[in-house]
Amino acid sequence: MSAFEVELTPIVFLDLSLLTMLILVAFAMLRSRHLFAVVMLSGIYSLLSAAFFVSLDAVDVAFTEAAVGAGVSTVLMLAGMLLTARREKPKTPGRAPVALAVVFVTGAALAYATIDMPAFGDPDAPANSYVGQQYVDETPNDIAVPNIVTAVLASYRGFDTMGETMVIFTAGVAVMLLLGLGSARGGREVSDAEPEDGEAK
Amino acid sequence: MEWFDFVLERYNYWIVIILMMTGLYIVFARGNLVKKIVGLNLFQTSVFIYYLTIGKIAGGTAPIYVGGELDHGGGHGEEAPGHDAPGHDAPQGSDASLHETPEGASDHVNDLFGGEAGSDKIANDFASNDLKETLKDFQAQGAAAPTGGEASLHTPPEGVDGKIANDAFQNIKKPESIEFSIGDGHEAGANSLADAVHQASEVIYTNPLPHVLILTAIVVGVATTAVGLALAVRIREAYGTIEEDELEVIDNVAEFGEEARARAEGAAS
Amino acid sequence: MNFAEQLPVLPIITPLVMAPVTLLLPKGRAPWAWATLASWLTFAACVFLLREVSASSAGFISYHLGDWAPPLGIEYRVDLANALVLLLVSGIASLVFPFAYRSVQLEIDERQSSLFYGALLICMTGLLGVTITGDAFNVFVFLEISSLSTYALIAMGARRDRRALTASFNYLVMGTIGATFFVIGIGLLYQATGTLNMADLHDKLAGNHSRVVDAGFAFIVVGMGLKLAMFPMHLWLPNAYTYAPSAVSAFIAATATKVAVYVLIRFLYSIFGFDFSFMGSAFTFVLLPLGLAGMFVASFVAVFQDDVKRMLAYSSVAQIGYMLLGLSFATVEGLTASLVHVFNHALMKGALFMAVACVVLRAGSHSVEAFAGLARRMPFTTWAFILSGLSLIGVPLTVGFISKWYLLQAAFAAGHWYAGFLIVASSLIALLYVGRIVEVMVLREPAEEGKYAIPARDAPLSMLIPMWIMVAANIYFGVNTELTGEIARRAAEALMMVAGGAP
Repeated sequence: MSAFEVELTPIVFLDLSLLTMLILVAFAMLRSRHLFAVVMLSGIYSLLSAAFFVSLDAVDVAFTEAAVGAGVSTVLMLAGMLLTARREKPKTPGRAPVALAVVFVTGAALAYATIDMPAFGDPDAPANSYVGQQYVDETPNDIAVPNIVTAVLASYRGFDTMGETMVIFTAGVAVMLLLGLGSARGGREVSDAEPEDGEAK
Repeated sequence: MEWFDFVLERYNYWIVIILMMTGLYIVFARGNLVKKIVGLNLFQTSVFIYYLTIGKIAGGTAPIYVGGELDHGGGHGEEAPGHDAPGHDAPQGSDASLHETPEGASDHVNDLFGGEAGSDKIANDFASNDLKETLKDFQAQGAAAPTGGEASLHTPPEGVDGKIANDAFQNIKKPESIEFSIGDGHEAGANSLADAVHQASEVIYTNPLPHVLILTAIVVGVATTAVGLALAVRIREAYGTIEEDELEVIDNVAEFGEEARARAEGAAS
Repeated sequence: MNFAEQLPVLPIITPLVMAPVTLLLPKGRAPWAWATLASWLTFAACVFLLREVSASSAGFISYHLGDWAPPLGIEYRVDLANALVLLLVSGIASLVFPFAYRSVQLEIDERQSSLFYGALLICMTGLLGVTITGDAFNVFVFLEISSLSTYALIAMGARRDRRALTASFNYLVMGTIGATFFVIGIGLLYQATGTLNMADLHDKLAGNHSRVVDAGFAFIVVGMGLKLAMFPMHLWLPNAYTYAPSAVSAFIAATATKVAVYVLIRFLYSIFGFDFSFMGSAFTFVLLPLGLAGMFVASFVAVFQDDVKRMLAYSSVAQIGYMLLGLSFATVEGLTASLVHVFNHALMKGALFMAVACVVLRAGSHSVEAFAGLARRMPFTTWAFILSGLSLIGVPLTVGFISKWYLLQAAFAAGHWYAGFLIVASSLIALLYVGRIVEVMVLREPAEEGKYAIPARDAPLSMLIPMWIMVAANIYFGVNTELTGEIARRAAEALMMVAGGAP
């Protein structure tokens, strides 16, 4: 396809070690039933992926992932865990095979796609040679912001970013609806004795 | 070694797939609602890694103009956009002024290389004023002697080590020059930046588009996490549990009466 | 600033700007009036937009956001297909929002009214944004805007029944998986083409037969399948529709899945096209059988429901089967039938869920028992339910008949005569489950005392009027097919032309 060839550089080993750590953390999250540990591991996972993002030259994303993924998300999950339960109860078996089948099929579909994927880091890959390259070429003429990511985020695809702020706003509204004033919190505590009005027989 | 190249080109895709599927498996196989949210989060973060993997270019650098173009001319003053910025009409004058007032100019040079955009601007204004005063006298002379101006930079007066100045030139990062340019004239800055980037075509920047998409997606992911956890908290308050199996039993009991509980217990044992 | 030039962005910008303001309004009537105003303005913009598109010589209007030409910038591309869906979503909103006032007063805490109407507006914005955009990633962003607000709105039913919480949580998990699959699909397409603009994607994908595109296709179909409750992935839907507040059920049932169907059509026809190798087999071996299975299994399950909302929810899954069936024929007729049914089904389900909301307001429940003898107590609501129920079955002079007629024609034209037979058979099951409720409403004696002793008065006018407008639309578009049938046919022809003939 293209003349590009991947070289075995020390960076490959750095990437490999980061990815290995990511896998280990992910498996630990899967295994652990201690929710506090799971939440902490999820924070570590975000931090490790932020480190990997730096290796992928995505410094802006790494920054955001470290702040939002490892920071805000972890705090949210910690709060959510403290307000709910500390331990996960052992699951009745039966669902695992179904889950395994779904996951296997999905993973196989993706692995099938990798056969035709351009090599990792190929500058001539379609994804890197078309619109992405145009941004790199055009930004100085159009916007004159040194950070191309900022230029694309704020101007070329600024509407996506506005949508993103709208998503945050929506999440705020949703959480206020769920937990805020007048949300009937606690008003429906365990009341199995009397079936709800909507469903009574 | 064909297979080795094949693996080397794709190993990280495969690892990312394993990560994604671990997240998805947690969502499907685990009954605890908080754990499900964590699983969703893991799944989404892994998709982010996949996106960024698409955009990586070997040997590339972060998509921020690094001003590598400044290396190009071995430290020629005229090529630095910062010097051009005050106005395209007077580059020679600038050189002339440097030539004329070596003491002050060396200060300016120091300031310019100091790195802070603010001081850059002040220094530059200062230089422009200087320049205006001296311009009249030296216009003819300046136009006639650009090489002299260059010489003054290449062999700076006392107090400025030429090597340091050159290093500073090479290390100077584009961001500063740009803030500097914007301050002085948007048009001029953009043009000079475009020229500079054109010259620096050998610098490879990693594809910025996936980064932008993922910046958006990270925020969407956090928003989903927040709403999901808020729901989990409400469920805990309403049912007293966040285990999916128990929730199912409680709902069935509410709908079909106590036999449902007996049936569920029978199935469990 | 030229109004006509900025027209395509108005249906999004209007509610997008007005939604945050809703939160600042004092609780009570003000947020409701504001949201209603927003929906009417949006509806007006959509009507203008449809006229504009219909008159345009190119067949579509392209609007560049921020004036950046695609593929660098985001493009809004309005052709007849999405103009029709825009009109549908904003039209349903402009009827459901005024309708909602009394129902929301009963079902939602007054202190939350401004948040609630704000979320409703955001939900509408998200759905419109998904429909109008010509950029694949922008679809995802607006999809999440609408989904997140939908999760919260459904959970609001917890004030009456806590099962709304678990229903909402399940929807959140399935919806997020669907959205993430969709994002993976877009990522694969991006990797293969390097662009995100839909028209550009179509050009780049022509003749591109790599495994990456194949997988992208699969992920997008599965992701959207989750969102639109394609048959085996529909498990989130019945509970979500059942336990959501009545007004929310009416709005979401009429719009959310329809928008997802539209996105599927857009991706299948406008992006992949018949040049794509998987299309034929995906239609024949996935969409067609799943559509048929959904039609039967869900209809059959609907017959045994003791809860009217749940019954209607299962019926929705079945009706989505019709839409999938129509688009899987891969003919102009089939696609027309599918688009017409998207429009018509929204009208039927909107009216039916509105009638249920009226019953909930007066009787306090949506179980079948609460409907006993309603004909005597709430005649207007009963007749609205009966008429739109007839429409659901597909009786002539209603929109349901038009849908089925188009679908039957398409089935026979495409040579799927057995599908035609099955459509009729599934309509008979619809007759069974609608007839069962109607029988209870008309023939059974109303409860004199106890929980369902209904006060002898009908729903308030503020609910009856929008509901009857919706019922009238069911009849009007069933008699006059000029608008829907004609526009849908032209839209289908344009889509088929882009897709490039038969597979």
